[in-house]
Parts: sequence; structure tokens; C-alpha cells
Amino acid sequence: MLQFVIRRIIWTIPVLLLVTFFTFALVRAIPGGPFDFAGDKSLPPAVVKNLEAKYHLNDPMWMQFCSYLIGDAICRPEGSEEGVSSKGVLLGDLGPSFRYRGRTVNDIISTALPISMQLGFLAMLLGIGIGIPAGIIAALKHNTPLDYSATFIAILGVSISNVVLGPFLIWVFALKLGWFPVATWKAEPLFSNIAQQYIAAGEPVPMWVNLIPKPTFDFFHHAVLPVVTLGTGLSAVLARLTRGSLLQVIREDYIRTARAKGLRERAVIVRHALKNSLIPVVTILGPMFAGVLTGTFVVEQIFAIPGLGRHFVTSVGNRDYPVVLGTTLLYAVAIVIANMLVDITYAWLDPRVRLE
Amino acid sequence: MTTLLEVKGLKTYFFTEEGVVQAVNGISYKLDKGELLAIVGESGCGKSVGVMSLIRLIPQPPGKIVAGEVLFEGRDLLQMSDDEIRQVRGNRIAMIFQDPMTSLNPVLTIGFQIMEALQLHLGMDKEQARKRAIELLEMVGIPGAEKRLDDYPHQFSGGMRQRVMIAMGLSCNPQLLIADEPTTALDVTIQAQIVDLVKGLREKIGMAIIWITHDLGVVAGIADRVIVMYAGKIVEEAEVHDLYANPHHPYTLGLLKSIPRLDQGHDEKLIPIEGLPPDLVDLPPGCPFAPRCSYRVDRCTEEDPPTDYVTPLHRVACWRWEDVIADQSKNGGQRV
Ligand SMILES: Nc1ncnc2c1ncn2[C@@H]1O[C@H](COP(=O)(O)OP(=O)(O)OP(=O)(O)O)[C@@H](O)[C@H]1O
Ligand SMILES: [Mg+2]
Repeated sequence: MLQFVIRRIIWTIPVLLLVTFFTFALVRAIPGGPFDFAGDKSLPPAVVKNLEAKYHLNDPMWMQFCSYLIGDAICRPEGSEEGVSSKGVLLGDLGPSFRYRGRTVNDIISTALPISMQLGFLAMLLGIGIGIPAGIIAALKHNTPLDYSATFIAILGVSISNVVLGPFLIWVFALKLGWFPVATWKAEPLFSNIAQQYIAAGEPVPMWVNLIPKPTFDFFHHAVLPVVTLGTGLSAVLARLTRGSLLQVIREDYIRTARAKGLRERAVIVRHALKNSLIPVVTILGPMFAGVLTGTFVVEQIFAIPGLGRHFVTSVGNRDYPVVLGTTLLYAVAIVIANMLVDITYAWLDPRVRLE
Repeated sequence: MTTLLEVKGLKTYFFTEEGVVQAVNGISYKLDKGELLAIVGESGCGKSVGVMSLIRLIPQPPGKIVAGEVLFEGRDLLQMSDDEIRQVRGNRIAMIFQDPMTSLNPVLTIGFQIMEALQLHLGMDKEQARKRAIELLEMVGIPGAEKRLDDYPHQFSGGMRQRVMIAMGLSCNPQLLIADEPTTALDVTIQAQIVDLVKGLREKIGMAIIWITHDLGVVAGIADRVIVMYAGKIVEEAEVHDLYANPHHPYTLGLLKSIPRLDQGHDEKLIPIEGLPPDLVDLPPGCPFAPRCSYRVDRCTEEDPPTDYVTPLHRVACWRWEDVIADQSKNGGQRV
């Protein structure tokens, strides 16, 4: 098991290198540059020139890539003191943002990612908590009104975009009924005393401190609408998948064997069908988790949540190369970790899969 | 001999979009305690549906047992409550299936799968069930039984899995074991081993067996009696030697000609039965075998043949069985 994890991590390195390389090349291949405009105005050419020099954008491409990877100190021996310098991705330094003056990509991620992860995690909880049981019930009540209505709702949930559902929920539950706030996210760190210490010392608060929110009324009150918006689609996808998978498993020969043994229908389903039917569901949970935890543009935009989702989108428009690279790498790492967890779960669910 | 099982007029239909599939169309037979009854017939003639109906394992919908009685130890299984029939399944009547590769749950250890029935029906605790499971595995000839209990099905070969299935079937000492083509998916040498195993176990335990096959050759050595099914009906029933020696139904004759026989010269050609079994949705009137039958006369396609008892133990449903016999003795083709 440990061996499996280590081997997977080693295998990940070339993958992440390739991702870095291609993102690096592709984002620079987009016409236009990071300093073409500031707000509505375009910048004077002299200023642009200075900025480009500051961020070493005039250096040869290989040198830029090299210093992105392993730092300015090694790849840019002369003149590394001038302009902005970075220690390189390998040391965990994702460099400065071109557009958010004075902020590094690490700063941006460590403030925005915890919020996205909180939203994503709650939405996944909702998605799994509703989707999988609904799928199971629909399958067990196959071809009954209960199944039809569950399937209908699931199709609705899959096809209604968050762009529609979010504003609709806001209109009904925030504006008309006034039950929930219209927008924003209210999370205080659970370990606020630790956060205070960092702030008092004038140091940046590390990401993990921000990650776990204090479970206050305010937090959940603000979270309900965005979590429901995001979670509905997820639970619909999971419900459909679970239903289909369970219906297929129920037709397997070994289910007939279980019935022939005289087991109660509940034991047949719980002991003999469920585990098998969850195998395809687990496959989709990995990428789903990775995608949702790293931020979702639409929901964060609708509810004005300062998560990471918008950075994925705006950084490309802004040609903010380091932010594009940083968020893409983060997503790649999330996918890799998620898939590793999926494989471990597989091995637990299915003895035919061995982690070797 | 005392009767263990009596099936009367059993009909099982499937209500599908294409129409009503008359999979089992009024079959009746008896089974004595400790007897081995073989049911043979081509693929799709309703053998599996017929026996699965006995313990109500038909997927419902689309299936439905529309008529009949299944008297087992004096009680009608078809009238029992769900709870009652569950206490019969796996306990008094056990069933093993055709494909051992798919009939065991891939994500549970075989120990778990065997012990489950023991705990359910015999009220054993884990310890007792485990002990009994080891005994059972030893009984069906699985070496290293104690260690293998914690293995998963994929760690066994096909033949070994069928042994596991048999161990599972016999776990609660059933009065009746239904074996639905237990050797069809196995290769020939393994088939013979499984047949021998069941033969031996039957002598030891004394349960009655219904053995389904589409290969008359397989059951020749072990069956007491044979039922030949065609298109959801019983066309002939006889004691095994009688059936091989004096087949009365043209279909049985065809089946016998299509299997290799060791006691016949090499010059005897194997003749497959021509044509296909009928569509069970729109069964035309008359004998269902008529379209493929060389003895067909007009009457065959108009009226259902009645079941004639040639002797108390030999029955046949054919308008022309007397001609079939006459032809055979004339040709000297009498098989002994
Ligand atoms: N679930 C079902 N829905 C519709 N028709 C069915 C269903 N199960 C069985 N049948 C039909 O019932 C008929 C009898 O099937 P059955 O499985 O009993 O055949 P069999 O004699 O066991 O054949 P084989 O030798 O291939 O196992 C077939 O024509 C089949 O198409
Ligand atoms: Mg069958």
C-alpha cells in the first residue's frame, strides 16, 4: 500500500512536468500580453517595457521556463537581483501575480482555495448524501412511480445549469422569502487563536488554518444557497449513476445465488449488490471531488464568493501567466491525488484489484 | 418410496413488450425422496424457468407463475408467504447454477458466502459456521480448505468454483438439490469430475436431485429418471434405461441421435435435429415440435397430443408414438 502510494507519486512527477510545460507554452502562445491594458486604458509603451523587464518577460523562453521551475537564482545568474525573483515551482514558489500588484500566486491560492474547498466539500457531502441513496431507492423501486419521479428529478438536476439554478434560488429564498442572505461567504477559521498569532507576528496565515471553518450559524446561513446550487447537479449525476449501476448488478448471477440462499431482500441488496454497484460510482467521485474542491467559477461568481474558481477564468483573460500556471498545476495535483484515492478505494471494494 | 415433490400443471409466463412468452406451459411431474431426475431439452425450452419457479426465483415482473401447484413435503410452495419460502430456499431446497464464474459474488470471500446460509438457516454462530464451512469444502474436495475459506472467487478455477457452489448448496443438508446445468460451462475432464462428485455426495447424503442439462450423455450414468422438455412442455418421461432403449417421441429420438455413444460403432453418424425451436410468444396450435418432425401428419398441427402412459413409468405426448416404436424395431435400430 505504502509502496503503491510512493510509486504513484514518482509516476506523477513526469506528468506534472508535462502539464507545466504545455501550460507554460500554451498560455504564452495566446496573442496579447499581461500588460496590454490596465482597467480600460492601455498602458504607455515605456511602462509596459519596464514591467516586462521587471518580470523577465524579455528573457529567452528556455530561461523563463527554467527559472519558473527551479528558480531565478540558478537559471538567471546575472541580474537576478533586479526585478521580481522566485524560488521556483519545485520549492513551492509559484511566483508573483502580474495583475495583482504585490501579491504572489501562493498568497492568492492560500486565501481563495480554503473558501472553494469549504464550498466544494459541503456540496460534495450534499451530492453524495442525496445522490447515492436516491439512486439506490430508485433502483430498488424500479419502474414504480417513485423511480420515475426520482429519475425525472435527476434528469432535471443534471440538465438545469447552475447559471439558472443559482439566481432562481436567490430570487425565491433570498429575495422573496428572505430566508437566506443573497450572497457572499462568511467563514472564520476554527483555530482563530492560531490565526491571531500569525497576524500579530505580521506573518501570512498558513492555508490549513483557514481551511476548517468555525461552524457558526452565520457560516451555514450563508452557505446554504451556494451549496445547494452546486450540490444539486452533483447529486443528480450520482443518483443516475448509482441507479444504473445497481440495476445492472441486480441482474447478475450472484444476486440470484444470494436469493436462492434464502436471504432477505435487504440482505441481498446490502451485502451482495451495494458494494459491487459502488465501483463505477467511486470512479467518478475522484475527478468530481478534484473539480469541485478547486473552485467552480459559475457558483462563486453568482454568489460573490471569493474562491479560486474565478482565478481559473480571469487569469487567462488577463494573461496572468503565473496564476494560470499555478491554478492549472493545483488542479492537476488535485486530480492526481483524487485518482490515487479512487484506486485505493477500488482495492478495498474489489478484491480483484490489487495495488501492485 | 415417498414422494418429496409433486409439480402439477405449472405454468410460468413472461409478460414482455413482444408479447406473452409461454416459457413453461403446464408441466407436471413427481420426484421421490433421494431420486435423481434429469431434465433435458434444447436451449430455451424452459428448463431453468421451470425449476426456478419451484422456489419462486423468477424475476417478477416480467415473469409470473400463472398456474399450478408445487407440493413439497406436503405444502404448496406457491402458496407460501415470502418469509416461508425464504426458509425453504437454501435450506430444504438448494440450487446451483450453470456458470460458476459469475454465480459467486466477486467481492465477498467464499467463506463468507458459505457461512451466510449456515448462520441464516441453522442459527450457527460465526465459529460453528466456519468449522462447518471447512468440513463442507473438504467434502467437495477442495484442498487446503481452512486457508481457502478467506480467498475470493477469482482465486479459484472454474471447476473449483463449481465445487464451492456445491458446498454452498449442500451446507444446510437440503432434501432437494437443483443443479441447473452445473457442468455446461466447464471443460470435459472437469465435467466428469463434477458429475462423479455429485454422484458420490448423493450416495453419502441421500438428497434428491433435479439435474438440468441439454446433453443426454451427461446424465446417462447417474440419473434414475429423465424428463424431456420441448417448448415449455414435457414431451416424454421415462426411467433412464427405458428412455435410451425405447425413445417414443420423435424429439427424444432426435436428441439421442445427436449425441455420440460409446456403445455404438463408429459408423453411426451423429444427426443434428433440423430447424429451430418455436418462438414461445406465438405458439401455433397443435404439437410444438410438429414443424421439425419427420412423423408429422395433419393432426399434429391441429390438435395438442395428449399425454399417453405407455407404462406407469413411461409417458409420451405424441400422436404417432406407436409408429415411432414400430419403425425402430423394424430398422433394428433398437438401442440397448
Ligand atoms: N426474464 C425473462 N424475460 C423474458 N423471457 C424470458 C426471461 N427469462 C427466460 N425467458 C424466456 O423463457 C424461455 C425459457 O428460458 P429458460 O432459461 O428456462 O431456458 P433453458 O431451457 O434453461 O435454456 P438453456 O439451456 O439455454 O439454459 C426462453 O424462451 C426465454 O427467452
Ligand atoms: Mg437454463
